[in-house]
Amino acid sequence: MSARHEASTDVGSGDAAMITALVRLRGALQAATLPLDLPGADEARTSHQEMVDQLEDYVIPRVMTVDAPLLAVVGGSTGAGKSTLVNTLVGHRVTASGVLRPTTRSPVLVHHPEDGHWFGQDRLLPDLRRVDHPTNDPDCLQLVASETIPQGLAVLDAPDVDSVDEQNRALAAQLLAAGDLWLFVTSAARYADQVPWTFLKQAADRSTAVAIVLDRTAPEAVQTVSTHLARMLAARGLKDSPLFVVHEGAVDDEGLLPAGHVAEVRGWLESLAEDSGARSAVVKQTLDGAIRSLTHHVHPVADAAAAQVEAAEHLLRLSDQAYSDALTRALHASADGTLLRGEVLARWQEFVGTGELLRSLETKVGWLRDRVVGAVKGKPAQAERVTVAVESGLELLVLEHAEEAAEAAERAWRQLEAGVSLLGTAGPDIGRASRDLRRRAERAVREWQGDVLDMVRAEGEGKRTTARFLALGVNGLSVALMVVVFSHTAGLTGAEAGIAGGSAALGQKLLEAVFGDQAVRGMAERARQMLEERITGLFATEQARYTALVEGLGLSSEAPEALRAAARRVDDVRFSSAQREH
Amino acid sequence: MTSLLEGAKKLVTRGSDTGARLEGLGTAAEAARGRLDDELVERAATVVERGTSRLRLSAAHTVVGIAGATGSGKSSTFNALTGLELSAVGVRRPTTSWATACVWGTEGAGELLEWLGIPPRHQTTRDSMLDTRRESNALEGVVLLDLPDHDSTEVAHHLEVDRLVALADMFVWVLDPQKYADAAIHDRYLSPMRTHADVMVVVLNHIDTVPEDRREAMVDDIRRLLAADGIPDVPIIPISARHGIGIDDLKGEIEKRVADKRMTAGRIEADVRAAAAELRAAAGDAPTRTLSDDRVDALESALAEGAGVPAIVEAVERSTRWRAGRATGWPLVSWVGRLRPDPLKKLEIDLGADAKALRGQGATSPQATAVQRARIDAEVRSLADDVSTGLAAPFADSVRRASTARLGEVGDRLDDALRTVDLDAERLPVWAGAVRVLQWLLVLTALVGGAWSLAALVSGGLGDLPRTGGVALPLVLLGGGVILGVFLGLVCRGLVAATARSRAAAADTRLRKAVSEVADELVVAPVQAELTAYTSLRTGLDRALS
Repeated sequence: MSARHEASTDVGSGDAAMITALVRLRGALQAATLPLDLPGADEARTSHQEMVDQLEDYVIPRVMTVDAPLLAVVGGSTGAGKSTLVNTLVGHRVTASGVLRPTTRSPVLVHHPEDGHWFGQDRLLPDLRRVDHPTNDPDCLQLVASETIPQGLAVLDAPDVDSVDEQNRALAAQLLAAGDLWLFVTSAARYADQVPWTFLKQAADRSTAVAIVLDRTAPEAVQTVSTHLARMLAARGLKDSPLFVVHEGAVDDEGLLPAGHVAEVRGWLESLAEDSGARSAVVKQTLDGAIRSLTHHVHPVADAAAAQVEAAEHLLRLSDQAYSDALTRALHASADGTLLRGEVLARWQEFVGTGELLRSLETKVGWLRDRVVGAVKGKPAQAERVTVAVESGLELLVLEHAEEAAEAAERAWRQLEAGVSLLGTAGPDIGRASRDLRRRAERAVREWQGDVLDMVRAEGEGKRTTARFLALGVNGLSVALMVVVFSHTAGLTGAEAGIAGGSAALGQKLLEAVFGDQAVRGMAERARQMLEERITGLFATEQARYTALVEGLGLSSEAPEALRAAARRVDDVRFSSAQREH
Repeated sequence: MTSLLEGAKKLVTRGSDTGARLEGLGTAAEAARGRLDDELVERAATVVERGTSRLRLSAAHTVVGIAGATGSGKSSTFNALTGLELSAVGVRRPTTSWATACVWGTEGAGELLEWLGIPPRHQTTRDSMLDTRRESNALEGVVLLDLPDHDSTEVAHHLEVDRLVALADMFVWVLDPQKYADAAIHDRYLSPMRTHADVMVVVLNHIDTVPEDRREAMVDDIRRLLAADGIPDVPIIPISARHGIGIDDLKGEIEKRVADKRMTAGRIEADVRAAAAELRAAAGDAPTRTLSDDRVDALESALAEGAGVPAIVEAVERSTRWRAGRATGWPLVSWVGRLRPDPLKKLEIDLGADAKALRGQGATSPQATAVQRARIDAEVRSLADDVSTGLAAPFADSVRRASTARLGEVGDRLDDALRTVDLDAERLPVWAGAVRVLQWLLVLTALVGGAWSLAALVSGGLGDLPRTGGVALPLVLLGGGVILGVFLGLVCRGLVAATARSRAAAADTRLRKAVSEVADELVVAPVQAELTAYTSLRTGLDRALS
């Protein structure tokens, strides 16, 4: 920005490189999403959106067309007299002014007839539709060609920055971000307001070219107010900005002030328009400032994006932790004899004790008799009752641990802000085991029992006719095997493990009597493994509900680094072109 | 919190509606604490505290706050109302940095001003020597506050405004033609305070700067914006403090409002309504509920099943039957029964000494089976689900949390409770003991008879034997002993069964009582406490909103 005469001739390889770098930066910004509600994410999101908007609305189009006319955006508070100022500058009524607030709802761009081609749809502010008639649609940009505006200059009347109309405020911010020069209008009642000053602070940060217009000020107050205002400007880093005073005066029928009141502003704008060097310098100052501030602001956003990735991973770890803990406990409980209590134990004792087993041992046709009796009485044989008890026991075990896991995962997520909002998208049932888990657990247990039965049947191929095999039957042996599996890790020590371990020992002995101890060990191992696979599968499906939530966010772990790299690239191009200028 | 409630209760005794509403809100806030969002609860508690302390102070005074943007002419309006140049007026913005108060009628106002935090140097009283003009005492009881601006770059001013806006009884919002559509006033004050429409007046200052034919349109436009804020019925008074236009209207409006002394209570009630509505929105409006006895019974019996009570009871019955049966049966039969070989031996499976215990044969004394945790967890969760159906999320969550908070203990506590219950299975019934003695006596009799008969047979003195009813006495003894013994055994079977059943029933009752105590302490009472909190929240809110 030091060499003003070079600015206009600076169209070349540097610009092409810059455009590429900027377009890449935009792509990288769009890829770095911030969906999680982390502390500070709101600001990062706003900043992110502003950067994308500024790139699309101003920086990229402006770098592509450095020779376009200087765009002066007239912005400021509602009721400060922006529209009146624009109308008076142009010399006739181009934009509505009035006492009802907010007055201007749709932006109006006034340019010289020769400059019309610079403001086509694909240039600045591409998402505002161009129209040629007054409108109140905030998505439109009204273009007005006027001979009274010098060539090389365009004036944009923006809506207010602080009215109650939120759309107006957003549009004003967008338009100001797209201007080469701000004509910031304020008034005696307004100049200490907070909202406009936050905009001016932004301008100071970005080194946007700003001129302040003090409007609607009573003659007796001008001295005091303008001195105070100048001091405020200096204190806030805008001491180089020109300050113009437009005295209060009666407006004519068209809503114009006497031309003399704005002569100073008009003269300054005209001199800018005439001197292409000065004009380019202003453009370059604002453009460079915008690019510099973009690359600066990229880093907090990249940090925020990295924090998002990290938070997502953290959430995944938390749910993983909850589920793997619960899974470990469930697997442990399925092997330490816990299941050999209550119903299962009672049924097993019935089976091996006073019930079926003894009878079937006493007479070799016992099982047949039981079948017959069972068929007649409609009562399941004892071994099947053990099977049923095992089924409901295992099912409850899985359900309980799945409930615990869901509860723990939800609780862990609830500790984090990001987790809370993510849970909010998932519906109320996420903190519970899923509704169809009972059904799936039932099926899985049945299938496992089927597998065990098949295994026993296959293993017993050659022993079909032995007395012991016949006495116990495939069902009885399967049940015994299940009992052995359930007390896999339970020793025969300790009062608690006594009964369970004893039951298992009995089962083991029965099996060994039929198959031999080597085979029994192998079978128990296989059955155990199959059970673990089934239970692990059930838990994986449960956990997937949490995993899916995080994965649904579409966070990419490379995005933050890519964003930083794109910003560095823009900086590199900026420095190398600055060096060329020297 | 309790002190708040006490304070509020005192007010109720004064027979004030406002006090009752405050108390209702206080109860609701207390019940909501820890269950609803802390910030929300804190806000409600602050309202209660503020309202309670305001009600304790002078009821004769009404605090009227003049608020608005910088440059809208708050101070000019204040001066015009007081008729004195009390507040600094200027073109430099922001002008007023601290609140100034003007009091009409000092009686009891000192405390009030202290509560408002207005230092004496910023206070003026209109019955002091400053008052040089004669005027009606219509504004008697007014504490007029000139507030700083809320929209300038001086953030300290915003904080002061926020503080005093929370305390004033009534507001005069000053708008002006330039700033009446500013987001700062609508979004931060007018719209959030739409519940306070009854204690608001809006004035449009600087009306002299608007051409006369446009004034009505502007007032209509303000009306439109206020309607969008949710306060369509607030009076809008166009004034010009500088030229004295409309000041009398404003004064009249304030006089009218102050005269009926409803502003203080109105403001507090508006606060209470707003806070209560927020709480109600968060708490939902599901009907209140209690845990029905049936549901508790269902839980308890499920817990009992999970803890294996039926199995124990069955074991008690079996054990009693077995013991008493053995005691009362004919001794020789039981004895012979034991000689039967163990069928497992046929399989040549040697289980050692454990075998009998494992097969439940020798285990005559029932052991409490270990509690099935999974079953119990499922039951407790289902109870929480049942009772929290329809409740808003925070309360449904708190019910669930309360129900499962001590779930980890339930298993062990049930185990302990069941273990300490006296099952009364070991003791032989007295009558069974007597029968056993009798049985052995009968066996002895039979043996004596047998031996005697044998001796007589050997010695050949059969014919010399004493006779009763035509049969030799030893044979009577032998036959009678055996027959009576068997007969007695058979007769006692029924008695044994009845005893076993009654003992089982008694054990069942005791066991279930133990289960019920544990369930009540660890599950039912916490859940009930949450439901009670919900009920008191709802009734509190109903009172606050009545």
